[in-house]
Amino acid sequence: MKQLKVFFVIVIALLPLVLVSCIGASQSAGGWSGPTVEDGIIYAGTRDGRVVAINVSTRELRWDWPDTAGLRSLIYTTPIVHGDLVYVGTYGGQVHAVTLDRGTERWVYPRTGSIGAIVGRPVVVNETIYVASSDGRVYALDTTYGDLKWKSEPLADKLWTSPTIVDDTLFVSTLDGHIYDLSLETGQLLGWSFEAEAGFTSSPVVYEDRIYVGSFDRYLYAIEMGSNASIWKFPQEEPAGNWFWASPIVREGIVYAGCLDGKLYAIGAETGERIWEFDAEDSIVSSPVLMDNLLVITDESGTVYVFDVSTEFGDEAVALKAISIGTSVRSPFSARDGLVYIRGEDNSIYVVDIGKGEVVDGWPVSLATEK
Amino acid sequence: MEVWNLLVGNPVLNVLIALSHILGGSFGLAIITLTIIVRLITWPLTKRQLNSTKAMQEMQPKIQELQKKYGKNQQKLQQEMMKLYKEAGVNPLGCLWPMLVQFPIWIALYQAIMNALATTPENLLNLAQRLYSWGIVNQAIPLSSQFLGLDLGQTASANGSLGLLLAIIVGGTMWIQQKMSQAPAVDPRQESTSRMMTLMMPIMFGFLTFTFAAGLGLYWAVSNIIGIIAQYFITGGWGYLKLRSPFGPTPVKGK
Repeated sequence: MKQLKVFFVIVIALLPLVLVSCIGASQSAGGWSGPTVEDGIIYAGTRDGRVVAINVSTRELRWDWPDTAGLRSLIYTTPIVHGDLVYVGTYGGQVHAVTLDRGTERWVYPRTGSIGAIVGRPVVVNETIYVASSDGRVYALDTTYGDLKWKSEPLADKLWTSPTIVDDTLFVSTLDGHIYDLSLETGQLLGWSFEAEAGFTSSPVVYEDRIYVGSFDRYLYAIEMGSNASIWKFPQEEPAGNWFWASPIVREGIVYAGCLDGKLYAIGAETGERIWEFDAEDSIVSSPVLMDNLLVITDESGTVYVFDVSTEFGDEAVALKAISIGTSVRSPFSARDGLVYIRGEDNSIYVVDIGKGEVVDGWPVSLATEK
Repeated sequence: MEVWNLLVGNPVLNVLIALSHILGGSFGLAIITLTIIVRLITWPLTKRQLNSTKAMQEMQPKIQELQKKYGKNQQKLQQEMMKLYKEAGVNPLGCLWPMLVQFPIWIALYQAIMNALATTPENLLNLAQRLYSWGIVNQAIPLSSQFLGLDLGQTASANGSLGLLLAIIVGGTMWIQQKMSQAPAVDPRQESTSRMMTLMMPIMFGFLTFTFAAGLGLYWAVSNIIGIIAQYFITGGWGYLKLRSPFGPTPVKGK
């Protein structure tokens, strides 16, 4: 009896430890920085918190940064190449500028401490880098020295999106479901805002004086700039099967939006009516990319789909190509010159040749290898 | 894991988030409300346990008689006590079952707290896959983790002195609850084991509160307080808590 009672007590005491270890394993965060390709070099963040530069043709690692493990932080933002620097925002809440040729740090903002986790990709315009942060503010930094030009007032608890810049206005969507416009010059609120019924991880996309953005309430919104009400919400009937996580893209009057319900929707930008849809095998986490007439999407299970958007589809689109890279994909991807560069969740870079319809021979390149 | 999420994990997660939305976005109030709901659902078990505790209290004079009679023959004493328990329809281990039944709820709640607060982008993306299509659930995201100065998604240790206070409340209320229901031991060896267990459990849960998300500690604290109140009214008082001091000798041994 006594032993049984002691056994019960031990089980009761230890079970929470077991459950925590199980949960911890299933939810490990590793960041999902995508690759940027510039002059034959791929720049990407790795799951162990480095930025690597890899020669596309030789697959040789040119440099990785930082050398010291203690300086590493999760990276969700895709590196930006501008001038002779590579810029990256980290989940630890710092913006780093690293030299393009040698991978040495030129500057960091802030020099000590953190401005809050950076999840949305920063944007560079006119020698200024604009960063939305998890402290709810937007920061404008000088690209050469990393000096602070301005920071906005707190707009929300968290900003996990990229700022969108049109002329002298910066638009930013918040995790709690607002969109604000700010002066690009001063960071001051310009007075307009839009409130959705749920939050945003989708950045606002501006096309012909309208903003297109997807939300957690399973709708994609079209908003007239300056208006507090949406012009339309898509779908017009029932909400979609899940959140619109990724930012849509708009071209020639058509909005292309991937959804976590695994569907790619083509929507009339003017009317909000469904033109066609495509059912992928898994959730669409990354934004679509257009290369001329070729629309490229990836789904979470690692299949790359290619569509010729000049084709007249019926209600259901048919993919020109469907190429599996064999690993899960959550990162934004890069597409140029008929090649798609994807960072898989296995910490490898895959290069998919759209023309051949296959992963190019010799890839993937593991990003996990230390210098 | 899929079956677990389908049957337990996802319902708890979605109800917790919906409650949070209904209660003005307060995740802490949602946890408290869910705790009350859980205690109501498990009420039949709790009542059975408390009745068993009450019966054990009423049997104390008989147990003391047996102790005097068979004090030198432990084997016989155990046999007679088991016989007594059987005749009275009491299961001495009955008090542990409600705790065991709550295991899946603890697991689901811990998962729900960690998933609902979605502290990383991966967590938020995973959360999206587990939400029902209910409008109030999707509109509630992201949840605020702040409640009475505590960050419910952070460990109690990361919450500083308030976290320490929460751990002490969890340990203290658990000790009171255990003390109210745990019958005094019948021999010195059992007495030391019993005392060790009475102390070990609150210390362990206090420690777990300190190391886990504060939201789980809040659940334990509220659950314990409800348990104490229910026990007080059903068993008609403070039970064994009034019989002896926490570290002192056991009066029932009559020494």
